[in-house]
Amino acid sequence: MIKVSGVTKKYPGRLAVDHISFEVARGEIVGFLGPNGAGKTTTMRMLTGYLPMNSGRIEVAGYDVATQPKEVRRRIGYLPENCPLYPEMRVDEYLRFRAELKGVKPSARRAKINEVKEQCGLTEVGKRIIGQLSKGYRQRVGLADSLVHDPDLLVLDEPTVGLDPYQIRQVRELIKQLSEKHTILLCTHILPEVEAICERILIINEGKIVAADTEENLRKKLHSCTMIELEVKAGKEEALARIDALEGMDVHTCSTLPDGWLWIEVEADATEMCVELFKLAVTAGWALRKLSEQEHSLEDTFVQITRGTEGVK
Amino acid sequence: MTTFLSVFKKELRTCFLSPIAFVVIFLFWLLTGLNFWWLLLQLADGEPLTTATPQIFGGLISFALLVIVPLITMRLFAEERKLGTLEALLTTPLTATGLVLAKFAGTLVFYAILWLPVVAYAMILQKLSPMEQFPDFGALRAGFFGIMLVGGLYIAIGLFMSSLTSNQIVAAFSGSALLSVLFFSLLFMAYTAPTSDVRTVGQYFSSFTHLFDFSRGVVDSRTVMLYLSGTVWVLFAAVRVVESKRA
Repeated sequence: MIKVSGVTKKYPGRLAVDHISFEVARGEIVGFLGPNGAGKTTTMRMLTGYLPMNSGRIEVAGYDVATQPKEVRRRIGYLPENCPLYPEMRVDEYLRFRAELKGVKPSARRAKINEVKEQCGLTEVGKRIIGQLSKGYRQRVGLADSLVHDPDLLVLDEPTVGLDPYQIRQVRELIKQLSEKHTILLCTHILPEVEAICERILIINEGKIVAADTEENLRKKLHSCTMIELEVKAGKEEALARIDALEGMDVHTCSTLPDGWLWIEVEADATEMCVELFKLAVTAGWALRKLSEQEHSLEDTFVQITRGTEGVK
Repeated sequence: MTTFLSVFKKELRTCFLSPIAFVVIFLFWLLTGLNFWWLLLQLADGEPLTTATPQIFGGLISFALLVIVPLITMRLFAEERKLGTLEALLTTPLTATGLVLAKFAGTLVFYAILWLPVVAYAMILQKLSPMEQFPDFGALRAGFFGIMLVGGLYIAIGLFMSSLTSNQIVAAFSGSALLSVLFFSLLFMAYTAPTSDVRTVGQYFSSFTHLFDFSRGVVDSRTVMLYLSGTVWVLFAAVRVVESKRA
């Protein structure tokens, strides 16, 4: 659906996007992550044909953004950052205006507008003036606008920024529903959003794509070992020696808790090593009150990748 | 064409939704009204009837245009930039040329509406006039044509200034400043320059002179071409600005 190859964008005095390439297949829902100023919005703008690129080539649905901009724009539903709207227009008016601009046929216009209004929960506010709507509703108007011409590809630039937690959940639900029919590129720096919605992740940092994979694979690649935490009642020397003796395990830290229990953190080469530790505790006759494998969060992964460590591809 | 029409309609509607439009209409109608009242007083005092149309379309009113037009055009692009809606517009199949033309057309129609009271003035003159030949409807038509030509160029200049900034105040002031510099330098060239050659050149270019000529019923094709080509050229410059100045 999207094919970006070797795209570079220079602003006066700095390189915003540096020779990036990536692809998004039809029907995929991809999260586009990056710290602020990494080049996310610039990439979105080049993708939608708003900004010209200095070099490289972008194809959307088989059309070249630079030479066939009209065809590309017809197929993209774009929600720009901060969701720009005309505050003096009514919701219905605005959607009709946008539908006309995007070439929705007059015969289909009314039905299409009603459909997107229903999808986005706007049926009751059609007559309201946009400037008087809450931020959550405005965001939904923006989403409805991006859907009104039935685009193949949805490009959403930070769709939940500035919303309250309840509204964020609603917008996410909506995006999830939309993913059944559309390819979605979701640009954000809010990680739980990506975890909740996206199948695949692209991470951009300082204008370069530093990672492109599913969330699970990214974690695996980055964190070859797992941390296991356990609390046992046993002699310190004996416990440490016996755990170290197990294959593929190293004691990372160990301390005696105030109530006399031992708190041990173990570095394991593979996952599912908890079982081994449990068996050990049983054979050694230790009392065991906690045994857990620590999950690495996407946040850890993200920080590690964007902090300047080597990219994983 | 549909996209052009929908932007055109939207522009025209927005003109009437913004409070500034009503301020502009009020001020302008007040000015033209006072101007007409003054004309009636002069005619009653025995001024020649030929001064009537030049005073309706030219004279003092041409000074008012230097302020009124930038007030109408200031929001055209500056507001879109401020709101971020320019990005939303230009990522639809609409082109920069289509957008500029539609905004220009919408504003031109609003400008024409500003001049509607002239119809009433013409009817009042006709009612009061004892003669068949007065008022001269040919001269009135030519005057209206002239005022639209001059207005077209002024609107294009205001639109261009608006496309350069995201601040409406800056757009209004810079537009007004540019128009005033043009208007007054040409006016002084045309009427107060010491050498007659400079005066002749000034009279070729001065809007004040042109409005005076048009409203006497003189439609000079050279002047028409000057305004049409000037308008097209400035609009083209605005298209280039919209296309290139995006970030």
